[in-house]
Amino acid sequence: MNRRQLIKTCTSLATLSLFSFTFLSARLSAQENTFKRYKRALLLDKNGNPISPDSIERGKQYIFFYPYRSTPAFLINLGKEVKPAVVKLSDGTTYEWKGGVGPKKSIVAFCAICPHQLSFPTPEYSFINYYPPDKRSKTAKRGNVIQCCAHMSVFDPERGGIVLDGPSEYPLLSIVLEESEGKLFAVGTLGVELFRDFFDAYRSELKKMYGSFRKAKKKVDKSVVLEVEEYVKEIIYC
Amino acid sequence: MSRKSFTVDRRALIAGGLLAVFARKGLVFGETRGNRVLVVGGGYGGITVAKYVKKFAPNAEVILVEKNSMFVSCPLSNHYLVDLVDFGELCFPYNSLVVKYGVKFLNDEVLDIDLQRREVITKGGRVRYDYLVLSPGIEYDYDENPALREVYWHYPPAFKPGSEHLYLKRMLESFEGETILISVPKMPYRCPPAPYERASLLLSYIKREALPVHLYFVDENDGPPVLREGFLKAYRDFYKDVATYLTNTKILSVDPKARKAETTQGTIRFDMANFIPPMRAPRLLERAGLLKKGQKWVKVDPLTYETEHRNVFVIGDSCETYLPKSGYAAHSEGKIVAKIISARINNKKWEGELVQQGICYAMVNLRQAIVLEIEYKYDLETKKVKKLVYEDNTWKVSTAKRYYEWARGLWRDLFT
Repeated sequence: MNRRQLIKTCTSLATLSLFSFTFLSARLSAQENTFKRYKRALLLDKNGNPISPDSIERGKQYIFFYPYRSTPAFLINLGKEVKPAVVKLSDGTTYEWKGGVGPKKSIVAFCAICPHQLSFPTPEYSFINYYPPDKRSKTAKRGNVIQCCAHMSVFDPERGGIVLDGPSEYPLLSIVLEESEGKLFAVGTLGVELFRDFFDAYRSELKKMYGSFRKAKKKVDKSVVLEVEEYVKEIIYC
Repeated sequence: MSRKSFTVDRRALIAGGLLAVFARKGLVFGETRGNRVLVVGGGYGGITVAKYVKKFAPNAEVILVEKNSMFVSCPLSNHYLVDLVDFGELCFPYNSLVVKYGVKFLNDEVLDIDLQRREVITKGGRVRYDYLVLSPGIEYDYDENPALREVYWHYPPAFKPGSEHLYLKRMLESFEGETILISVPKMPYRCPPAPYERASLLLSYIKREALPVHLYFVDENDGPPVLREGFLKAYRDFYKDVATYLTNTKILSVDPKARKAETTQGTIRFDMANFIPPMRAPRLLERAGLLKKGQKWVKVDPLTYETEHRNVFVIGDSCETYLPKSGYAAHSEGKIVAKIISARINNKKWEGELVQQGICYAMVNLRQAIVLEIEYKYDLETKKVKKLVYEDNTWKVSTAKRYYEWARGLWRDLFT
């Protein structure tokens, strides 16, 4: 290869890599609001056995931790088939939410960290909660919603966690569930992830709760499902 | 020379003098490249704009100018006065904005704004801008009530963050007298429920400690402008034996040596006082030409917060809008303006926000709180605003906990 050819080849490679990088960035950017796979985690009951979808009572709010051992998620049986929905973000982008799982396709899961300003259920308090149809939120004046009482953001668990009211910019992050042979698995997230902000905001608290920040960020391959009442001392409704 | 022309000439002279002095100073940060966003004021509104412009338009050059080196929160500062939070909990450094988001922080004071040259003049020099967001908060308006001018040095209003609260707290801690006077100006002022919350917390503290103290609460308004039912219930049912609430009453003069205040309803003698003066947008905005004579607040487009000057926005307490003057409102407005500016930088379109919300929490005693949620919906066709108000005037411990989480959420949003 002579000098001229070498320069030509290098230039072509550089140009190609530039385009590839742009292409790659664009692809990554496009996927930001879509499915992100994590460890496949088996959901367990409090005795350590795989939780049966039939045992998840309608209208109750359950909590489990996924994809990290410190990031809480709600598990809710909405009592009827929950159909897929298209979730639209304020920037105009959309993603398709798959709806419910389980025998009646009525079980959904959402990250329990409020996407507005990151309130989440702790062993002390829970400001963000699910209100079943028969327990309406006084401020939202409706039931069958997830509401954060700190700043009054209201989300619809039946339509992919979209924002119904309040200041939240983003919908609730969906936790993607799979059912296999009567067992429930969490396999990933769908939507806008704010885990980085969450870890930044609660660094010292998480360190206290889990012994070290590294431990708090450990990804799980199984997760125990509890009723929120069993995990949280004081549930604050509004 | 008429008084009017003298006033104009004097203003022109001062402005010209300032420009002449600072024209010699160099440009800080150099020339703009078309994407520079200059934010004046590092409070709830200014920080929000700075952070979110960088989030939505990472290619923007964002400069935040703030005269204080540390952020101190006014929300929850009444808690500090009665030992419900430490002062340290209210203080935050600006470093995450710089390190995490790439905002340039200029610790300097703005002296003037030249809208024609698109320059802000600080003590250190001149800063050019393509987009200007002014979020300078409030200034005490002693022209409105000159009687309160001198007492500022004796009795800090503690409606601006920082040392005023420290001083007021120290006065409360060393207080051994029998009479406290709190005065409230006519609306609008910063954080409408705050004076009533302050009085309620002090009274609750006085009752808990069984102190032989009486509070005179002198209000220029006809009652609490928000959460009236909750506050008045507190007064009627719990504080009437230790407090006197005078409505539609104005402070006419104060003798700080004799500790005597003349009001429209007679003389009040006091041992300690907290005179909250009338408020207005800072005079800096008047010098810049954004406030016309007699105006106290800057008129802006209620959907975009843009002034009559393209790409010049005023947010927070300084502007006249539907939302109450509060840190939370400034934060919400900051997000709207960040979206608009980012869209313009990214060559996209953003029309403004048709629905805007505000939330005000207030303590009624040392344990319980009440809450107000306001929503404004703007109808593009009728150009009218529909106001929806939800007040929960029932005293609740859980609302007090929500209040704390509300503030912590705001701080998380601003500083992480």
